[in-house]
Amino acid sequence: MELKHIGNSIDRIDSLAKVTGKAMYPQDYYVDNMLYGKTLRSIYPFAKINIDTREAQNLPGVIRIFTHNDVPNNAHGVLHKDQLVFCKDIVRRIGDPIAFVVAETEKICEEAIEKIKVQYEIMKPVLDPIEAMKEDSIKIHGDSNIVYHFKLRKGDALRALEESYFVATNTYKTHSIDHAFLQPEAGIGYLDENGNIAVIVATQYPHYDREEIAYCLNLPIENIRIINSNVGGAFGGREDITLQVHLALAAKTLNRVIKCVYSREESFLAHSKRHAMIMNYSTGVDKEGYLTAVKAEIIGDTGAYASWADNVLRKAGVHATGPYIVPNVMVDSYAVYTNNPYAGAMRGFGATQVAVAYEQQMDILARELKMSPVEIRLKNILKVGSITSTGQLLNNSVPLENCLRSVTE
Amino acid sequence: MIKRGKGLAISYYGTGYGNGYPDVSNAIVRLNKDGKVSIFVGGTEVGQGAKTVFVQIAAETLNINIEDIILYSEDTINTPDAGTAAASRQTYNTGNAIKLACEKFIEELKAKAKEILNLDSTEGLIVSDSNVYLNSSKNDKVSFLEIASNVKNGFFESQASFTAHTVEMDVETGQGEPYWPYTFSACEVEVEVNTLTGIVNIIHARFAQDVGKAVNPRMIEGQIDGGFYMGQSYCLFEDLNIVDGKIMNNKYSKYLLPTSMDTIDIDKIIIEDPESTAPFGAKGIGEPVTIPVAPAILNAIYDAINVRINELPATPDKIISALKKVKSEDQL
Amino acid sequence: MINLKINVNNTDYEIEIDEEKRLIDLLRDELRLTGVKEGCSEGECGACSVILDGKLVNSCLIMAFQVNDSKVVTIEGLSEGDNINYIQKAFIEAGAVQCGYCTPGMILAAKAILDKNPNPSREEIRMGISGNLCRCTGYEKIVEAIELAGGYLNGTKTYRE
Repeated sequence: MELKHIGNSIDRIDSLAKVTGKAMYPQDYYVDNMLYGKTLRSIYPFAKINIDTREAQNLPGVIRIFTHNDVPNNAHGVLHKDQLVFCKDIVRRIGDPIAFVVAETEKICEEAIEKIKVQYEIMKPVLDPIEAMKEDSIKIHGDSNIVYHFKLRKGDALRALEESYFVATNTYKTHSIDHAFLQPEAGIGYLDENGNIAVIVATQYPHYDREEIAYCLNLPIENIRIINSNVGGAFGGREDITLQVHLALAAKTLNRVIKCVYSREESFLAHSKRHAMIMNYSTGVDKEGYLTAVKAEIIGDTGAYASWADNVLRKAGVHATGPYIVPNVMVDSYAVYTNNPYAGAMRGFGATQVAVAYEQQMDILARELKMSPVEIRLKNILKVGSITSTGQLLNNSVPLENCLRSVTE
Repeated sequence: MIKRGKGLAISYYGTGYGNGYPDVSNAIVRLNKDGKVSIFVGGTEVGQGAKTVFVQIAAETLNINIEDIILYSEDTINTPDAGTAAASRQTYNTGNAIKLACEKFIEELKAKAKEILNLDSTEGLIVSDSNVYLNSSKNDKVSFLEIASNVKNGFFESQASFTAHTVEMDVETGQGEPYWPYTFSACEVEVEVNTLTGIVNIIHARFAQDVGKAVNPRMIEGQIDGGFYMGQSYCLFEDLNIVDGKIMNNKYSKYLLPTSMDTIDIDKIIIEDPESTAPFGAKGIGEPVTIPVAPAILNAIYDAINVRINELPATPDKIISALKKVKSEDQL
Repeated sequence: MINLKINVNNTDYEIEIDEEKRLIDLLRDELRLTGVKEGCSEGECGACSVILDGKLVNSCLIMAFQVNDSKVVTIEGLSEGDNINYIQKAFIEAGAVQCGYCTPGMILAAKAILDKNPNPSREEIRMGISGNLCRCTGYEKIVEAIELAGGYLNGTKTYRE
């Protein structure tokens, strides 16, 4: 079939607006007489709190201070509704939202935030995911800090490792990082011409935001409208709720236009991070360089909230053996709560972290066998007709060998 | 001393939410009064090029000009849910939904043309360049504009939904078919490591990305560049430095991102091997382009200095202390 | 409050503004030139770059009162309607735009490079944009775009039809 448009490097349809500066991001909307909103956030990783907004409320120019009392369903989260729109009794991380001040100017918002009294009764935070997994650890939510455990079993990995010609056993650690998209979170909340709550925001998933606002405010989905402006980068960092519910609540309550713009520092506090992982690997190989077994234990620190933790650690577990045929597999991956900044989606979503481990393992095996890195990989890679570690037949497009040869020949 | 090394890494990535979770995209195609075609879809442009890909897929399926398509993808008031712009799923999932909706739309156009042209069948009708032709004679045709003027009530539109193949894995064994399709990548880098300062410079990089079928090769190159950059940055630069739950590096002056002086031009190789379940064979690549970069750099560092960096980021201080450790072990 | 005179994109303004306001606030909040982007507020990212009296500056690091009697060019000053200038053209053609948030600042950085030297090497281009962060592109296509724009300027390249 001859293709007319597919395969053509046409100019991006959004590029004219972007090179002229006309592309609007949420912070670029200005409305006469709009109000500003600013979030008060926790400064301790784990504490009981008590808040008093009375003095701040009396500050001239302050319109309203929203707290947990104002939210009908004070819970959100992409998988587990473990995040609060506003914390009530406990903060679980530095940066947890406690209140949202709406005032006539940003400056008044800042002054009011200073005047809100938060009494913190500091608790000992759980910061090490391995400590957090222990039965006697302090629990951050519910009765276990283990949010999710994924098990992958194929053949007899323990025996195969024992019988292997050589086994590489190593621990790899990857750190938590930020998406650091260039456009900090911002948004505008207002009531549209039909009286529906509209939020202009930069999001990866407008229909999810709509659903979450509807749930938190206990309103039908039809009453909520998300207008996704231009998005200044995302990389997974705009999948969770940040300011959407705050703006919707304020717009609904006040029937005014409210704008909120995060600073870079607040952006770091507000959204998720890449999961830091501890990965214990044993990879076995026979004399000829064929993989015999992989045993891996992967611990992902999801911080104070789960966000996408189950799916991230599942993706890590499924991809843990790399793009190779491995006859015997034993993988356990865990997502664990701590009082660290919360982790969620980021480009590669668990599959990025495990590659740091499995690809170094392959090189270690190659050196032991005095093989080239290319040779050992060619012996083991997935091809058309291969079966993956989860038992999935790859019967379609599998051009891995072509990729490998293209960068090395 | 400056030491050179080469490193290789390959990787794969399963597209979509996975594990049986319904992975659905919806799209609506509508004929406008002026004969142009509107596409309504809730998939987000985050910079990856989704809008352009959507329009290219629609133009190809409808066999019309890019300029005759108007895309609406910003407002939940008029767009159907197309899932999240994540999991490298928009080209594959939403692309499939748009293609299906356009194919239905073509059938609707043909049915309408049959009515207007007084034919007894839609057999032999061809849609091309915003016209429906009777293929035996190019004179017998009806334009999209004429069809639009024949629409009396409501919208002339088609909708479609696409759900990706995914099966929930066995809870005890993890056996099953969690994702589809899989996308493959390979990366080779050459580095220079300064053993006095611990600084790692990438001096050469090659990246091959399986794309199924390239919708827009220049945008794919842009994704490979950006993915490599992010992998390099993950491996060598970025560090939140979290102490007692607090992000110490909470601004750009402390959270270091590579500048244009820290990156190099990358040899980019686009590997085409169409995936039969994908729109025109195209797979999503937004995430795969990042995955093999960090391990390729780490393998290159080892090749250069015989030291394994098992803990990210591979910052100069970590490389220096690893070198010192090896040196003191050698002396024992 | 202070009064100041400023020429922005070839238009003269007399503005009364709070002395605490920065140049970026003047441009965005007062003149609604929202092509000037704020990314970090500490002069690290360059998204707020403008050309002040012929020099590329971070408008988040300059106080409004410092620009009295100055001439400022923002991204909005480079085009009229859809009639875009040669650097903007090159950015579109080279595929140098992704999320777009760094783009206005990058294009002004490119202008500052090309105003001085219509024939910069890739190294000189990389040096010239090193104060502007981009999180999407890895910079390569931006460097290509500026090289292409240089070609348009010095006549070695002609506009694509």
